[in-house]
Amino acid sequence: MRQVFYLMQKEFRQIVRDRFMIALLFVAPLVLIFVLGNAVTTEVLGIRMVFYDGDRTPFSRELLAHFRDSRYFRIVGYESRYRELTRLMDRGEAQVAVVLPAGFQRDILRGSAPTVQVLVDALDGNSAGVALGYVTDIVRRFHKQAAVSMPLPVIPTGGRRVAAETRFWYNPNLESRVFIIPGIMAILLVITTVLLTSLGIVREKEIGTLEQLMVTPIRSWQLIAGKTLPFCVVGFIAAILCMVFIRIIFGIGIAGSILLLAVESVLFILTTLGMGILVSTISHSQQQALFIAWFFMIFGMILSGFFIPIANMPPLIQVLTYANPVRYYMTILREIYLKGTGLSDLVEETVALAVFGTVVFSAAVLRFRRTLR
Amino acid sequence: MGPDTTVSVRGLTRDFGSFRAVDDVWFEVHTGEVFGFLGANGAGKTTLIRMLCGLLEPTAGTATVCGLDIRTRTRDVRRIIGYMSQKFSLYEDLPVRANIEFFGGVYGLPRSALKRSIARLTAELQLEEYASAQTRSLPLGIKQRLALGIALLHNPSVLFLDEPTAGVDPIIRRNFWRIIYDIAGRGSTVFVTTHYMEEAEYCNRLLIMHQGKIIETGSPSELKTRHDRPTIRDVFIRLISERMQEENAV
Repeated sequence: MRQVFYLMQKEFRQIVRDRFMIALLFVAPLVLIFVLGNAVTTEVLGIRMVFYDGDRTPFSRELLAHFRDSRYFRIVGYESRYRELTRLMDRGEAQVAVVLPAGFQRDILRGSAPTVQVLVDALDGNSAGVALGYVTDIVRRFHKQAAVSMPLPVIPTGGRRVAAETRFWYNPNLESRVFIIPGIMAILLVITTVLLTSLGIVREKEIGTLEQLMVTPIRSWQLIAGKTLPFCVVGFIAAILCMVFIRIIFGIGIAGSILLLAVESVLFILTTLGMGILVSTISHSQQQALFIAWFFMIFGMILSGFFIPIANMPPLIQVLTYANPVRYYMTILREIYLKGTGLSDLVEETVALAVFGTVVFSAAVLRFRRTLR
Repeated sequence: MGPDTTVSVRGLTRDFGSFRAVDDVWFEVHTGEVFGFLGANGAGKTTLIRMLCGLLEPTAGTATVCGLDIRTRTRDVRRIIGYMSQKFSLYEDLPVRANIEFFGGVYGLPRSALKRSIARLTAELQLEEYASAQTRSLPLGIKQRLALGIALLHNPSVLFLDEPTAGVDPIIRRNFWRIIYDIAGRGSTVFVTTHYMEEAEYCNRLLIMHQGKIIETGSPSELKTRHDRPTIRDVFIRLISERMQEENAV
């Protein structure tokens, strides 16, 4: 055990002396959060809206004010002729039209369901869906405020007259960064553990210290523990910093259990450390290790659902994602972080992580031991 | 195997693909000997040493170090040997002291023994003034002394030095040899590979290798008499050129 302590002490001494590592540790989480948190966005702001008011009552003007106050909409027209609406939509000057028929206020006061028509420019399907979501949300809130218990049907054009009330849970404003940000932690853990572990071992191979260690009576498990635990610690420090920054910058805290998150992260790290060791056993130089590690990391990230929702991938690729441990960790992170989901609803993902961790790490240890002889 | 045999090599062979780097080598080394391996680059010296240290698995044959088989008792062998590789291989980004402490710790020395060992070696190898220096900044000669000191931390019974003096100037080299004699004088066995012929004269016994095979063995004076040459350099040149002629004739 003391051998492991000496190895770790040495590793930390090296890390502390390495300015690049310190920079990576503190700057990487910040940059990732800023860039990815803001760049990868499906959020739609400043949607151009035209408002048709066929009612002209205090209620209809109040609803208009709600839209005006929202940062999601910019009112480009306030029309009383229906034909004007079509013109604005056709020319693309308006992306959304909200049509309030006469009798809007009357219906609410009577307690019957008023109808609101929403026309959406659906050329960009994603944005259209998001815009419709915002409209629905604002109308619903207005309705509620009007202190009427009847649900308000929102009828998209051409749709059937079904009274549907939509509520977006966990991310009421459909902000994509809420979805993206927890994933950054996964990316950060992958980078620190896979890259640092593989580079750390290959560097010792390159300068010959690994050989110098191999002529000592040290056992291979001690060597592996001493080489991987420090990077585990580094990864966790980066992850914790990441959570702190997310809290400070975006005001997003962890909804669920931190303990559960920590346990799942340890399971996940088992896989990434294993990958790091495996990469080190097949590479002879740091460049090679870097290249191979990147190759796996890119796959791990793209097929994790971090950038592209897995449901949007072709079926064959979707099947492939099941072979990607990052996919499960990504789900777990989002569930715990945003929804506060407990272990009972994450059993499948947890088992998957545990299996991946055990298999990959054992394979790595076996291969590493073989290269030692 | 005699009573004072420390290392006994029996038919060691190592192939790299179709290339036979070490070819059926047999010899014995006695306790306290300074035993030199001579040979041109690629003669198999380093491969042989690496096998004896348990860094390479032999293709055939085996060897014992202090009676321990290198193939089956690898870890026990590692406990009693010291190894200094051809290439300086310590952590250059750490201070000298951190390097010493680290390797001492890895050998599992108790803290007090480690402390004594460090004090003794830094004095003997005149490393005190460099203790807190950055390893990277040391001159090559000091680096090699440090590497030697680290190989000696755990008082090994057998010390393997793979070209320990490569690239350092003659005065430092002579100094280094004085240390090697001290170590041998205390009862350790020292293996040295070198291609400085004047260094070969310092060894108690020599083994000359050519293309993986032993072509001559004996003490320096024996070899000089046997081949009727004034220096080991001449003996070596004569032996190697004979071989080359034979090969060309075939």
